[in-house]
Amino acid sequence: MEPVVQFDNVNKSYGKHVAVDNLNLSIEGGKFVTLLGPSGCGKSTSLRMLGGFETPTSGRILLSGKDVTKVPPNKRNVNIVFQDYALFPHMSVAKNIAFGLELKGLDNQAIHRRVSELLELVQLQDYASRLPAELSGGQRQRVALMRALAPDPDVLLLDEPLSALDAKLRQQMQIELKAIQEKTGKTFMFVTHDQEEALTMSDTIVVMNKGRIEQMGDPHTLYGRPGSVFVANFIGETNLLRSTVVGTEGDVAALSWNGITITANPGGLSPRVGEYLYVVLRPEAIHCSAAEPTSGNRIKGKIRQRVFKGNHTSLMVEVGAGTLLNTLVHPSDVAQLNGEDIWVGWNPETATVIPDRHAHN
Amino acid sequence: MRTLLSDAPRASLTAFYWAFILYLLLPLTLMMAMSFKDANFVAFPIGEWTFDWYVKVMQDKQFLEACLYSIMIAAATTLAATTLGVWIAMLIVAEGIRGQVIIFALACLPAVVPGMISAISLRIFISTIDMPTGTAAIILGHTVHAVPFVVVMALTRLRSMPGNLVDAARDLGADSVVAFFRVTLPYLGPALLGGMIFCVLLSIDDFVRTFFLGGYRPTLPMLIFAKVQGGMSPEINAMATLVLVVTAAVGLYAEFLTRRARTR
Amino acid sequence: MVSSNTTAAYGTVRDAPVPKYSTGVAKVVNSALYRHTLGAAVESRIGRILLLAGVPMIWLIMLHVGPIYQMLKISLLSHYPVQPGVESRFTLDNYAIFFRESIYFTPLIKSFIFATAATAATLVVVYPVAYYVAKVVRPEGRSKALLLLLVPFWAGELIRTFSVIMLLANRGAVNVLLREIGFIDRPIPMLYTSFSLGFGLVYLICLYMLLPLYSAIEKIPSPLLDAAADLGAGPFTRFRRIILPLSRDGIVSGCCLVFLTCIGVFATPMLLGGPNTVLFPETISGFFHGASDKWPVGAAFALIMLVTALTAAAIFMRLVGGRKRRTI
Repeated sequence: MEPVVQFDNVNKSYGKHVAVDNLNLSIEGGKFVTLLGPSGCGKSTSLRMLGGFETPTSGRILLSGKDVTKVPPNKRNVNIVFQDYALFPHMSVAKNIAFGLELKGLDNQAIHRRVSELLELVQLQDYASRLPAELSGGQRQRVALMRALAPDPDVLLLDEPLSALDAKLRQQMQIELKAIQEKTGKTFMFVTHDQEEALTMSDTIVVMNKGRIEQMGDPHTLYGRPGSVFVANFIGETNLLRSTVVGTEGDVAALSWNGITITANPGGLSPRVGEYLYVVLRPEAIHCSAAEPTSGNRIKGKIRQRVFKGNHTSLMVEVGAGTLLNTLVHPSDVAQLNGEDIWVGWNPETATVIPDRHAHN
Repeated sequence: MRTLLSDAPRASLTAFYWAFILYLLLPLTLMMAMSFKDANFVAFPIGEWTFDWYVKVMQDKQFLEACLYSIMIAAATTLAATTLGVWIAMLIVAEGIRGQVIIFALACLPAVVPGMISAISLRIFISTIDMPTGTAAIILGHTVHAVPFVVVMALTRLRSMPGNLVDAARDLGADSVVAFFRVTLPYLGPALLGGMIFCVLLSIDDFVRTFFLGGYRPTLPMLIFAKVQGGMSPEINAMATLVLVVTAAVGLYAEFLTRRARTR
Repeated sequence: MVSSNTTAAYGTVRDAPVPKYSTGVAKVVNSALYRHTLGAAVESRIGRILLLAGVPMIWLIMLHVGPIYQMLKISLLSHYPVQPGVESRFTLDNYAIFFRESIYFTPLIKSFIFATAATAATLVVVYPVAYYVAKVVRPEGRSKALLLLLVPFWAGELIRTFSVIMLLANRGAVNVLLREIGFIDRPIPMLYTSFSLGFGLVYLICLYMLLPLYSAIEKIPSPLLDAAADLGAGPFTRFRRIILPLSRDGIVSGCCLVFLTCIGVFATPMLLGGPNTVLFPETISGFFHGASDKWPVGAAFALIMLVTALTAAAIFMRLVGGRKRRTI
């Protein structure tokens, strides 16, 4: 199937500053795709280039197979939900939604039908004649979404639209947004710096850093098998164990981490002895117990800090002089760990191994 | 000691404020009161009161013609100054245009040139382009005077406009022209209306430019000026009072409009 | 069950009035006329720039700069308007006249003295009022207090000047009142003197001072004053060390505005002044009304006044303004 959106060697620089560095990206239709990254990683610039508000310094952007690199925003079939919604303050909710339809040349009846249909989709029928100033944050968000969906775009772009909402409303809107995407079957391209948001909604996450794509994949892969230190750090909490290879045997590599010997599955890598590797270990993959575990990696340690977090407790365990592991313990298990001395252990298969790029520099 | 004293400045400031209000309103009040004097000469005390002067003024053809003439000039000035002022403001806030500071300085130039000099330079200017003195010249002069005020008012409002409103309009299929008329102009709306009323007041009030650029038809200030120089009479007071009441009402309304625009 | 649902659904559709959408926009935008003119223009970068900048730039250069430029040009000519048979040549004579004859020199000096004095008086009188409205009045009452000050502003220059006559004339309110209470026997001549002119000027322009001062003082955060008081500063110290320096921007722009307005005031001196208070604008005006061949001299004088007035304002800005954060 032909991709709906295609970035073809796209570069964008402002003077000396490179905002987007040779971006190549294909997005399939009907997917919820998230561009995720810290501020300044080029995700918003990429989105604005797709919307037509920035012109790439070089490269091509294709929309449904057509080259739109130099097409102005009003002539592209993409619509944006802006970060602060950008609702027209002097127009009612219905007129806001109708704006794009009016310019398409639809007649009054057709516009009315489409507006009513969209308002119904987000249950705002009773608010049609209100002004944006008379709506709550969540309602404005929905109106902005419907206004952008109204002209039936090939791709809907969302530029951090949830960042202005409070935490509770944000979670609710994440679910609603995903539901609307599924119901309409549209391609959504969502930009955010919030990894939790990305994990909740996306079919595909594109992690960006310094104008480049770090990794692209579905949320499970990105969380479970991060491809780089950056991705591992950016998505979820993590323990990064920088270790030296001391020996390999098939699928098992013996590593030395700050003098502690552990084993890991190097996956596709074939590390040599003496090489440095990172072992990515999620806190929830570590098992804490009073007794020594029978299999897998196991280290004796001392609890240095307990942080109660409601549905779990976070334990900082010192496993060597100054070497700490961040672990996660369920409430039912905390009671057993009343002493200072405990064992930590994990199944080597739950950890991911990534090469240390800097070791060679 | 300090705490004891701290209320004294407050009280004296309040007193000073009211004294100042009295200073501002007293001459105007006296002027209005005099318009009801039942005598031919302007002098206190007033003694007998009458409405006769108003009856006379309302039948004074010259006065009514001057009113109409002033209103006509003010309307033309407002239309021209608003169009130009908004256009210039749009240029100043536009992205990708250089020299905005210079354009802004140019736009404000007529506001810092003293009125008398502005009037003379305009008088010379219309003569160099072979334009006769009269209605068109007055409108031109008044428009030059009013444009800076519209620019500043429009700029203030434009700067408070979320930048992506126009982006949103463009995103939804509007080109720059449609985006301007459907989004930017309505957004300027009430502030612009306030600015327009201000233009009307500026034009109706203007004396020095009209004095140099006008022909034989007098505007309101010209008429009042000529009458004052010709000799005092409560009739002038009645005229001035009528003008004052109308312009103050219009001004109050403009103030109300800009205030509402600011709170929105 | 099903049927009742549909009726209900139809009911809502029928009950809700169909709003009127702006379908005309599309018709205009899609019309051939629009597409080939404006629509085509905004498609290209050059077209957009021309559309945006064309009219404003022509207006600004023609009518904001043009008159001053023409005035400069004519001030350097020996004759204008050009008469048949008389050749007009380049000369600096028109400027020299000013320095040669004191009847021209004196009115300019007088104009400056009046404008400076009126500016200073206005500042002193208006500052406490601006401070009162900005800081003493509670926020909800502020706009009302300000509005009351604006009322005379709408009366217009001429009517305000005229109303001063009511107050100061020989049989005006002040003289009549003073006589009634037995203070004086015969009226004090106040009208057509420097006093009446000064009084009238201050009355005319005080609001130009009020607004800049008010907005500058209003911006001073009140906690600063509380902090200063907490550190032991009395009302006077708070004023001198905090309020005054922080309202400097307002003082500078208010003073410049008032000074430049005063310099150019034309009608007020003619109505309130006397033979001893002939100011420069009246002198200049003489060259334009009556003997028309004196235009070049009038233009030269107007330029002298413009340059000196703007220089004075600029020097004042430099001296008092200090580190001014200028934003357009």
